[in-house]
Amino acid sequence: MEDFVKELPVWVLWVAKVAIIFGGLVATAALMSLAERKVSAWMQYRHGPNRVGPFGLLQPLADGIKFIFKEELIPAGANKFLFRLAPALAAIPAMMTIAVIPIGTIQIGETKIPFSIAQVDLGIMYMLALGGLSVYGAILGGWASNSKYSLLGGLRASAQMISYELTLILSILVVVALSGSLDLGAIVEAQRVNGLWNVFTPFGALAFVLFTIASFAETNRHPFDFAECEPELVGGFHTEYSAMRFALFFLGEYCAMTVMACLNTTLFFGGPSVPFWANAPWYVGILAFLIKAGFFLFLFIWVRWTLPRFRFDQLMRLGWKVALPIALANLLVVGAWVAFSTKGS
Amino acid sequence: MTKIQINGREVEADPKQPLIRACHDQGVDVPMYCYHPGLAPVGSCRICQVEVAAAPGQPSRVVAACRTPVSEGMVVSTDTPKAHDTRRECLEFLLKNHPLDCPICDKAGECDLQDYSFNEGQGKGRSSEPRRKLEKRKSLGDVIVLDEERCILCSRCVRFFTDVTKKAQLTVEGLGSRSVINTYMDKPLEGNYQGNLADICPVGALTSKKFRFQARVWNLSKTLSTCGECSRGCSISVEALRAKEVKRLRPRYNAAVNQWWMCDTGRHALAPLTRPLAPEGAVLGGRLRGAAVRGYNGLELADDVAALDLAADMLAAHPGAAVIVSPFATQEEAKAALALAQALKATPQFVSPAPNGLKDDLLHTGDPCPNRRGLVEQGFTALEPAAALAALAAAPAAVLAGERVLEFLGHEGLAKLPTKLRLVAFDVETSDIPALDVVFPVPTHVEKSGHWVNVDGHVGVLNVAVPPPSGVRRLDAQLAALAAKLAATPARS
Amino acid sequence: MVVVQRKELTLAERLYLPEVLRGLSLTFRKFFEKPITRQYPEQPLPTDEVTRGQPRLVVKDDGNIACVSCGMCEIACPAYAITIDGGETDRMIEREPKKFEIDMLRCILCGFCEEACPKDAIFMSNELELADYTRAGLVYDIEKLKRPKSALQKRIDYVYRLNNRWRSKQ
Repeated sequence: MEDFVKELPVWVLWVAKVAIIFGGLVATAALMSLAERKVSAWMQYRHGPNRVGPFGLLQPLADGIKFIFKEELIPAGANKFLFRLAPALAAIPAMMTIAVIPIGTIQIGETKIPFSIAQVDLGIMYMLALGGLSVYGAILGGWASNSKYSLLGGLRASAQMISYELTLILSILVVVALSGSLDLGAIVEAQRVNGLWNVFTPFGALAFVLFTIASFAETNRHPFDFAECEPELVGGFHTEYSAMRFALFFLGEYCAMTVMACLNTTLFFGGPSVPFWANAPWYVGILAFLIKAGFFLFLFIWVRWTLPRFRFDQLMRLGWKVALPIALANLLVVGAWVAFSTKGS
Repeated sequence: MTKIQINGREVEADPKQPLIRACHDQGVDVPMYCYHPGLAPVGSCRICQVEVAAAPGQPSRVVAACRTPVSEGMVVSTDTPKAHDTRRECLEFLLKNHPLDCPICDKAGECDLQDYSFNEGQGKGRSSEPRRKLEKRKSLGDVIVLDEERCILCSRCVRFFTDVTKKAQLTVEGLGSRSVINTYMDKPLEGNYQGNLADICPVGALTSKKFRFQARVWNLSKTLSTCGECSRGCSISVEALRAKEVKRLRPRYNAAVNQWWMCDTGRHALAPLTRPLAPEGAVLGGRLRGAAVRGYNGLELADDVAALDLAADMLAAHPGAAVIVSPFATQEEAKAALALAQALKATPQFVSPAPNGLKDDLLHTGDPCPNRRGLVEQGFTALEPAAALAALAAAPAAVLAGERVLEFLGHEGLAKLPTKLRLVAFDVETSDIPALDVVFPVPTHVEKSGHWVNVDGHVGVLNVAVPPPSGVRRLDAQLAALAAKLAATPARS
Repeated sequence: MVVVQRKELTLAERLYLPEVLRGLSLTFRKFFEKPITRQYPEQPLPTDEVTRGQPRLVVKDDGNIACVSCGMCEIACPAYAITIDGGETDRMIEREPKKFEIDMLRCILCGFCEEACPKDAIFMSNELELADYTRAGLVYDIEKLKRPKSALQKRIDYVYRLNNRWRSKQ
């Protein structure tokens, strides 16, 4: 087995990893649409979808079939090219960011294969760069629809994403400062070596809270889902979308959620490391990663069905007047602490 | 005239009429079962009892208003507790043996017993004895069924035959509680006026076989109209189920023409009024759905305007057309036909079928032309069907207009007409007449408004009782449209 | 005039995060509670004689329909859902419906027909489900409305009990 893996051409491993991780991501996104409805139902004393397949597990498949067979409408006066481009722009960057997340290490015999598509030194930069692109999906979709609701939704989405991107980046920078690397693998490794997850350090804990809040805003999730605020904007930037194009926006949102959950795990919860079991086998590590990421995915849903939506001015005030100063101060203190403590040692 | 006081009001009354009539003339409601204004009063039911004093201040007593003559200074009260009590007790006796048949009974809804029980009755009977068991379905001839249980022995029906037709056929048979209505020697009823029994019977004892269980009376729309059976033109009300299907024709009081009565032939002349429409897309086999013109495959449904154009063209191209209307044509239609005849320079004529031998002393004139007098007064010439057919055979073109005109001319005779004749017809239904080129649908006389003039010169009114089939326009409007089209068409000769 | 006194928020409430956690704990507790939703086609709504479902016609034990087409329900129906055409029969009761149609799309299940019926011929059954592919299919004719008396017996008894209670109060 080990020899066989060693003799495999490198591209085969790559293709296998890409297939597994992308497939897993899309499957997770699909299952999330079911989980969202199930969890919300259970929180409201309901059953949730349970007609398609056992416990309704085939519901995403049924939804997919429905999406495929629905009529695709393009509104009159819409910019057809951008209208078609926008869903792809919303989905693709969200899916691409998963590439640098270190999910763990596969160990066959003595051969260790890192279980991530790419190990990039500037992993975080790559991630933030691609994450910044996803705002285009919302704003272009909103603008190209030739509808006032869509346009307002798109504007709100972009304003919100740009505002919270700052907090997000600043809280990530705290982790970077603590670990001294932009490589996600190195960040995980640092936590493992320290034996302390970043979330348990004082600065890390603050950064974690800010990061979580910002990640909700970045993914347009409750309580910050102003991009598709139904009572005011019908459906927000995707009001005019139907069928598979609408499904792509949906897919993008769930992929972004999944990636944010993975990133949260990686940055603050030690990635695949298992507490109090330093030499855990590799599959336990992957399992631990999946459990941690799964918890954060559940948190997304949990919060959605607990909190009401903010007002837009409250969102902006929270972003610019609360989260950003705290994040800045946190980074300053961390920077000073890292600078002086490393100098001292 | 005599001065009397009814319910505290000084009124004048005819001393030759019974007191109940004086009350009714003053709009004071006095219930009645055995009394009928058209029959001799007998005072058998006692429901019409009112309190009467000979003069103001005199002691009063309760008397039957139908048998009490009006006398000077009489004080009548219909609304006193004493009068109500007497009537209530009287009703209790009448209801003692009357079965609780109202859900089944045809009279329910127009039943005097129901109405007065509701107004005056006490709601509950006190008798513990079982009701009489008698025959429920006794046939009295072809027209009437007797339900002996429901009968309250008012004897209106007996008196109808003695007083109105002057040929007694019914009698009250047996004594006391065993009394029933029966014919002499169990013979079936005869004569042309049996249907009136169902109308005058105050309860559901005598019902019409034709109408039995056909409809609930409150579902019938009632429209004032005139009977088209003979030239008498009896005033009738046309009663249609849910304002769609004519279910019965009933006489309506008209002192000058028919009093309260009508004959059975007129009463049962429902077939011409309820004939079904032709199948979808067909011309024959029922009432015309729309205008039809002769094509390669016989008569075919056509556009109204195109058919009118064609008719005008034909009549313009073949001068000397005859104009023959139906005896059912109303005054208004006759006027339009007259204008058309003038435009065509034709003599206005109408079909006058031979007397049908139903003439009697009471109402029926035997002449099946309801508007004969009106048509003659407007200048139409009566034409026997045979003579009319001969005239048609000689004419280059002809317009036949009016309800059932083809039927009165005779379909067989029409079928023998030469095909070179250009024939334009307006009728409810047509047969496959080779000479017929264009035919337009018309409403029946219960589907239009208009007037007929009867044999004595009385004007009878027609009203829309049921809507005509969609797309069927009034005949006078169609004739006027044809005349206008004709005036606009240049003569081609 | 109503003056609404707004409660002064405490620091913890203004910080919001503790309140968020409180909310999250609440929803998490509810997460494990038993659903109260009824799984409809498998678990139909329990019905009893009080249920006022669709009207049905009683077929007497001798196999004849109890209706004599008196038209009382037709006239009582506030939605004009009932159409009856009567006809003659050879039975002791001389009249029976030749056509008895209830347009179930018009029927509002008010029960006036049941109340108006003098012959105990129409009762509100416990049948509630109503579906068809055409409108015409939902105009129920006499065959679709017929039910044996035994199937409606509970409702009949209930109506009698109800009426007797009213009578005793008068």
